[in-house]
Amino acid sequence: MLRVAGLSKRFGGTEALRDVDLEVAQGEIHALIGPNGSGKSTLIKILAGYHHAEPGALAELDGEPFDLGQVTASRHDRLRFVHQELGLVGELSAVDNLALSHGFARTALGNIRWPEMERRTNALVERFGLGIDVRRPLSAATPVQRAVVAIAAALQGWEGRRGVLVLDEPTAVLPPGEVARLFDIVREVRDAGASVLYVSHRMDEIFALADRVTVLRGGRRIATRPVADLTPRSLAALMAGEEVETDHRPAARSAATGAVLEVRDLWAGPLRGIGFDLAGGERLGITGLVGSGHEIVPYAVCGAHAGRVSGRLRLPQRAERWTDAGDAGGLGLPLVPADRAGEGVIGDFSVGENLTLPLLHRLRARGGRLHRRRESSLAEDWIQRVGVRTAGRGARITTLSGGNQQKVVMARCLAQRPPVLALCEPTAGVDIATRLQLYDLIERQAEEGMGVIVSSSDTQDLLALCTRVLVVRDGRIVRELGGREITEPALVHAMEGTC
Amino acid sequence: MTSTPTRAAALRPSAPDRTGVLAAGTPVRRAAAALSFRNIGAVYVWLVIVVLFSVWAPETFPTATTVKQVLNGNAVAGLVALSVVPPLAARVFDLSVAYTMSLTSVLTAYFLVSTGLGPFTAIALAMAAALLVGVVNGIVVVVLRVDSFIATLATGALIQSLITMVTDDSSITGVRLLAEPFASIAQLDAGGITLPVLYLLLAAGAIWFLLEHTATGRRLYATGFNADAARLQGVRTDRLRFMTLVASALLSGFAGIVFASSVGSGSPTAGSPYLLSAYAAAFVGATQLRAGRFNAWGTVLAVLLLGTGITGLGLATSAPWAASLFTGSVLIVALVLTGGRLALPAVLRRRKATPHAGPEAPAEGPAVPAASEENRG
Repeated sequence: MLRVAGLSKRFGGTEALRDVDLEVAQGEIHALIGPNGSGKSTLIKILAGYHHAEPGALAELDGEPFDLGQVTASRHDRLRFVHQELGLVGELSAVDNLALSHGFARTALGNIRWPEMERRTNALVERFGLGIDVRRPLSAATPVQRAVVAIAAALQGWEGRRGVLVLDEPTAVLPPGEVARLFDIVREVRDAGASVLYVSHRMDEIFALADRVTVLRGGRRIATRPVADLTPRSLAALMAGEEVETDHRPAARSAATGAVLEVRDLWAGPLRGIGFDLAGGERLGITGLVGSGHEIVPYAVCGAHAGRVSGRLRLPQRAERWTDAGDAGGLGLPLVPADRAGEGVIGDFSVGENLTLPLLHRLRARGGRLHRRRESSLAEDWIQRVGVRTAGRGARITTLSGGNQQKVVMARCLAQRPPVLALCEPTAGVDIATRLQLYDLIERQAEEGMGVIVSSSDTQDLLALCTRVLVVRDGRIVRELGGREITEPALVHAMEGTC
Repeated sequence: MTSTPTRAAALRPSAPDRTGVLAAGTPVRRAAAALSFRNIGAVYVWLVIVVLFSVWAPETFPTATTVKQVLNGNAVAGLVALSVVPPLAARVFDLSVAYTMSLTSVLTAYFLVSTGLGPFTAIALAMAAALLVGVVNGIVVVVLRVDSFIATLATGALIQSLITMVTDDSSITGVRLLAEPFASIAQLDAGGITLPVLYLLLAAGAIWFLLEHTATGRRLYATGFNADAARLQGVRTDRLRFMTLVASALLSGFAGIVFASSVGSGSPTAGSPYLLSAYAAAFVGATQLRAGRFNAWGTVLAVLLLGTGITGLGLATSAPWAASLFTGSVLIVALVLTGGRLALPAVLRRRKATPHAGPEAPAEGPAVPAASEENRG
């Protein structure tokens, strides 16, 4: 259906893609997998016509050659994209969003025929179920509903035609239960006769969904294989270029040393009075469906929740006194936030500047001056300690891969030597190799007696990392799982409330 | 995220022992970087302008008088331009600086001429008014959360009404404005270079020190680039933004007093011509030295560049439209040469939401995946 061959792309001195071939057959779900920086996004952007490939590449759609540099109507007809950011305008409704790419139905006078638009949108969205209100702004919709609107927008005017739907990491923000629903939708698209090119860096998704998989690494195609011929281990080996351990299980022993954090009756957003004790050395997972409130816990504990917070918390090793949760910011617990680009790193700052931002008060020299030498040695020290791959502390943080940016965010939290480290979605957008490094890093900290709170909707994080997991549903802790009880089915059942 | 620019870093074999060398660079390479067009393009443009006008107006331009004229004539403009640098670093627009400048100039003149107060009292009262303006700006922008662009336009209008109340829309003049010691504030000179040039250098030095060499400066930039992230790192962004508005009011207020002293009158429209050039200089300055960051010396450089060009045009032709043409062209050319994007680091660029910005970002408002250019592919 879609075939490209000999695709190369250079950005300045770096080769993003080198002589890559890709073939997506009719009616298959073809996965494109590779670690961050492997060239997946570049490849997709070339297919979308956003980047121009180096000359010499061949491209065919349905047997007809086409020019990669030009977006023609026939190419648009057969190659549709749902990009990572979904490309939706949250302030607008589903109707508006679909019309943005396909135009509005108008009357003779030129005003929009809203009923017609609504009917049209409903027809596209309805077949996926989910009860989307096409008139409400998308910012009020759930992530999977938004993903569905994006897919519907991409599929507009495509009924019954042969073509390729390209999905670029659509599950990045979806909780497990909804991922399954998205997969059903993707299969439905395939069964209707289209091909799907599914970009991901999550192996479990490949095995759940794809028929064939192409592995990219370092801008080259490493292999294209039927998924049935692969095991998680062999696929991971292809991705990482070496055998990596995929079953990262936490050490069974609990190095618990008495509570380092006590939380009582915490109310914030959807949370309705939750409480827990966190022991030193414990890696406590907090999970739930989107909207359950689990993702707010780290923010509330660190005093970083924007809305009203009430409750009490205490760091028993530091003070006997209970602190009002509304003043939790005063405890100075560092947070690894969920939205790395928006709340984590400062994109225009260098790696070093990002690292030392919360530590500046320690670097004061005479006359209020910043002690530059101490600052650079501090930054270098932590870059080494957490193993950030960078051209140097002076490099812009945005030149780093997502995983390495996350290491910088973690490093600057750890450099504050907190009794408790709170993380929210710590491995979102992080490739598997770096993910394992992050797990190791977190584990090492816990072994030194730090308490770790991990709020995550990625069960892999919870399985690999946590010694105990609290499952939140409708703002309350509904289940506590410990040690061997932490399994994928147990987690999903508890989140969904099906047990 | 699998954004393409990450590749350079991701593909490089991790060689921690070498990275230090790479980052620091050899002295030669560092010097080359410091002198590159990217870094100090304005200096080269400035040199070209100097040569150009020396050829065009060989009699009048390449003289010591011109040098003095450029320096003395642009010191006040430089002070106003510098006053907007700290707010811009924190992503705050203070458009009221021109009105603050007019306000202090007429207030000083008013107190000196009409009430007969001593010059020090008059200056102190005028600066107190500037402080008040800064505090009001801070309250409206930071406490009441009105967008700084609109808020300072609005307070500017309020200040203008105050000015009209005091002056009845005409300049205040009087012998005491021309007499010592008030006149010497702006008119004392050493070898033809007047005191305001010294003020400019002092103010630039102070702002440079603040932004480059203190924790506060780093936090200001952090606030400007990504206030959410900065706040989560314990930066008190609100307080910093408040402070920058107070600082800009004080500095532009001081510029107003210097202006009153140099022209010997308090003019109700003293500041107006300086507003656009101040922002032009600050933005051109942000493309220099510390590309992408509003900075003091880059701004001074830009003021001198613009001042030289305008002075030169004045000497070479008598076309009254030449000055604005020049300012506008330099602004556009400077921003284009440095890639546009660099020049407007965080100020006018909308932050792009990531896919992870979705539901897990409860500290944010409605998390909205921004429509990105890629989707137009």
